Amino acid sequence: MENKEKNQKKPTKKGIEGIKRSGIVKGFSIISLFIMVPVFFLTALFLVILPRSEVSNIEKRNLAEFPEFSFDALFSGQYTEELGNYYDDTVPYRDELKTVGYNFKSLFGIHTDDEIKVVGKPIEVVNKDGEKKNPDEESKPSDETSKQSSEADSSQSSQPTQTGTDESSVQESSEQEPEYTVENGIIVVKQNGHYRALELFGGGTGNAYVKALNNFNKDFGGKVKIYSMIAPLASEYYTPAGYEGYTASQKECFDSIASRLDEGIVSVDIDTVLGEHKDEDIYFRTDHHWSPLGAYYAAQTFAKAAGVDFKDLSTYKKNDIEGFVGTMYSFTQDANINNDPETFSYYTPDNIDHCTAYYYDTSFNYTGSGNFFNKVGDPTHNAYLTFMGGDEQIVKVKTNIKNGKKLLIVKDSYGNAVPGYLFGAYEEIYVVDMRYFDLNLVDFVNQNKVTDMLFAMVTYSAVGENADNLEILRTQNKGAKITDGAPD
Amino acid sequence: MGIGKFRGSGASAFCAAAAIIIDLALLIVFKYSGFIVENINAVSGLGLPVPQIQMPIGISFFTFQAISYIMDCLWETVPPQKSFWKFLLYLSLFPQLVAGPIVRYSVIEEEITNRRSRPSDVSEGAMRAIIGLSKKVIIANNLYAVVEQFFGGDISNMSFLGTWYTVILYSLYVYFDFSGYSDIAIGLGRMFGFHFNENFNYPFICKSISEFWQRWHISLSSFFRDYLFYVPIFGKQRKYLNLFLVWFCTGMWHGASWNFILWGLYFGIFIFIETKIGKKRMKKWNKVLTHIYSKLIIIIGFGIFYFTDLSKLGQFFLNISGASMILSGNSFSDILTLNSLLNNLFLIIFAIIVSMPVLPKIKYFFFTWGNNKVYAFGKIAGTIICCGLLVLSSILLVDNTNNPFLYFRF
Repeated sequence: MENKEKNQKKPTKKGIEGIKRSGIVKGFSIISLFIMVPVFFLTALFLVILPRSEVSNIEKRNLAEFPEFSFDALFSGQYTEELGNYYDDTVPYRDELKTVGYNFKSLFGIHTDDEIKVVGKPIEVVNKDGEKKNPDEESKPSDETSKQSSEADSSQSSQPTQTGTDESSVQESSEQEPEYTVENGIIVVKQNGHYRALELFGGGTGNAYVKALNNFNKDFGGKVKIYSMIAPLASEYYTPAGYEGYTASQKECFDSIASRLDEGIVSVDIDTVLGEHKDEDIYFRTDHHWSPLGAYYAAQTFAKAAGVDFKDLSTYKKNDIEGFVGTMYSFTQDANINNDPETFSYYTPDNIDHCTAYYYDTSFNYTGSGNFFNKVGDPTHNAYLTFMGGDEQIVKVKTNIKNGKKLLIVKDSYGNAVPGYLFGAYEEIYVVDMRYFDLNLVDFVNQNKVTDMLFAMVTYSAVGENADNLEILRTQNKGAKITDGAPD
Repeated sequence: MGIGKFRGSGASAFCAAAAIIIDLALLIVFKYSGFIVENINAVSGLGLPVPQIQMPIGISFFTFQAISYIMDCLWETVPPQKSFWKFLLYLSLFPQLVAGPIVRYSVIEEEITNRRSRPSDVSEGAMRAIIGLSKKVIIANNLYAVVEQFFGGDISNMSFLGTWYTVILYSLYVYFDFSGYSDIAIGLGRMFGFHFNENFNYPFICKSISEFWQRWHISLSSFFRDYLFYVPIFGKQRKYLNLFLVWFCTGMWHGASWNFILWGLYFGIFIFIETKIGKKRMKKWNKVLTHIYSKLIIIIGFGIFYFTDLSKLGQFFLNISGASMILSGNSFSDILTLNSLLNNLFLIIFAIIVSMPVLPKIKYFFFTWGNNKVYAFGKIAGTIICCGLLVLSSILLVDNTNNPFLYFRF
């Protein structure tokens, strides 16, 4: 730039058309401004004037809302902060622009046939010799569990929570047990020409889960049969060579949990069964859930253990949603995931026309009835909402089977894919989300004359914070009146 | 103004001293009171309440500008500004208010009153600002994402190579972040007809630590050189004490935390050693070796700059020296580092190339060496590239908006 300054003052004789350099400089500076100024204003107008985004489909959330004005909020700084946040969050074409950005960022690196991208900072949990690394050194005081804190088995992604030892809080309460860092980052791997995102498992004891299930079992005194079915994360089967040390064995964890459950509780080992089918599409590559096919094998194993009827997959109608890209895109922000969509296939039973799903809010107030399988608004991003449309509710399905058997499923979103395979086995199926239930679960089971109770959730929920909710469900609001407002 | 009135008399020095003391006192209250009280508490065990004072934006910069103005007036390098409004304009000049550079009053004295903004100023300034923005958004932000991935959490089991890799990226990050801000400031100033001095001059091509500081954050190091080092606080004979005072203050200026002070003194030590050796002798040394020496010192220095938590800083030293391989069995290398390198290879190579004076060479080719046709081509191509960079930076900034990973619908 300095050099150019000199030039302006000393026009050279290089001008080929007899124009002095200073004239050229001025002329082309004006031309340059004629190009730059419109680009600048168009960019600014684009960001300010176009309609603002309201929902992010790749992040599956509603975006910030325009803040309400009040003088209190203005003077505390809250109003201006929220206003800024609103404009940041609701940029026009937000999802599309993010996708352009992620695609650009994928140019930063080398792409090979066996490339791996790491999101977050996984910690080595197993030594090269196969020995576990000192789990007791890390303790995780279990928080006052609330629904907010347990915002899903949908792992909170990128930064696995790192917790240091806090001896005083551990000593203060014997309830607080040392816990591993359950979530351990995500890796994106390329396998057989397709990209797959894998959530790694940092390990864990599942103490809260074991304790709650044993207590439930005591409460029911054998009148209700309890089944425990924990679904492994996909990393159990698809973790590439070299990364085994960064994900703990889920099988070992499940076996340990099974060994500590009371005798009356049946542990359904789906880890082994799913492993036998790992060459099929039992997990989504782009979503943190298993696929309905994976849930089918799980339901089959459960049905066998429970001794109930189970129909072969061939009797189901297969429905395909093409172009599905799930949650792992926003978790990893990896363009490769978005550019490698998959087919979301789900299976509807042949008696589906004779089954009605009754929907209730989290306090069991009836809100309406309909189908268990829903048409989803934006299926390419939200296909998993096909099952009951989501989590934050209680659902009861009445089938055309008359055998007096009633099942209650306590689940996270993994469990959503299971009930559809059991419509030929139970007269009624209740679906309760472990994160969204405001009644006393023991009362609820007794009142509705439930015969079988299935705990169906993924490792992160059974071993992580969500499991703390189970004891709360068992003890909260005891004796409160429960009435079923649904029409018969 | 008092200085002007009593020019040459003792009273002018008194006015200057009073003004500087007030300025520094304000800076200390706003920026360092928390730090000072925390340390008093730590040493004495007194449980004094730690004041939580919101810092006015850019306070470190405008305080120093005020001091430079006062000193220049005192030393009669510039006539005092008679218009209070123009003085305020100098102090609060918005392009560089937030993140520097520290602009000397003497540099823009003339332009405060008589300023011309030609089309070439606006165009050059805009391009400079866009390049600064791109350095920040395209390079610095993405390097920082990697740095946070590795240094953000627990670093106790980081590998030897992993630590080196991360701290090298962090050094590049700080350069692109800070020089990007300076480019934006210089560019914006230029658009309005101000010509600020350069603040960075490709610091990583230096061959010694002294040279590094002549190229890195020039406005700060020259400030301390002119207004503190040459002021014989400890007497002319004890200039080395003065040197360490300068580096103590340089470190302290960067933030109210011990690691910054340590960082300043760390450089002070090497500059002390280099002055003892002497410039002439150092020039005879093998160039490759001096490059390696200076880069090693600078990169490790940025490690000190990063870790405000002193216990983590200690762990960092164990990792980067290889001591933790022996003491706690950390590995030499690890698969995560290798992968991160592959995933960001082009970004890193690009960053290293751009951190060397490549752009000035291109500019020289198009705008000075070439004929009018070459100039015209360069100007139009440069404009289009800058437009592209502006749009790309804007898009990448969308992703920087809050991304809280909260689930409302699942």
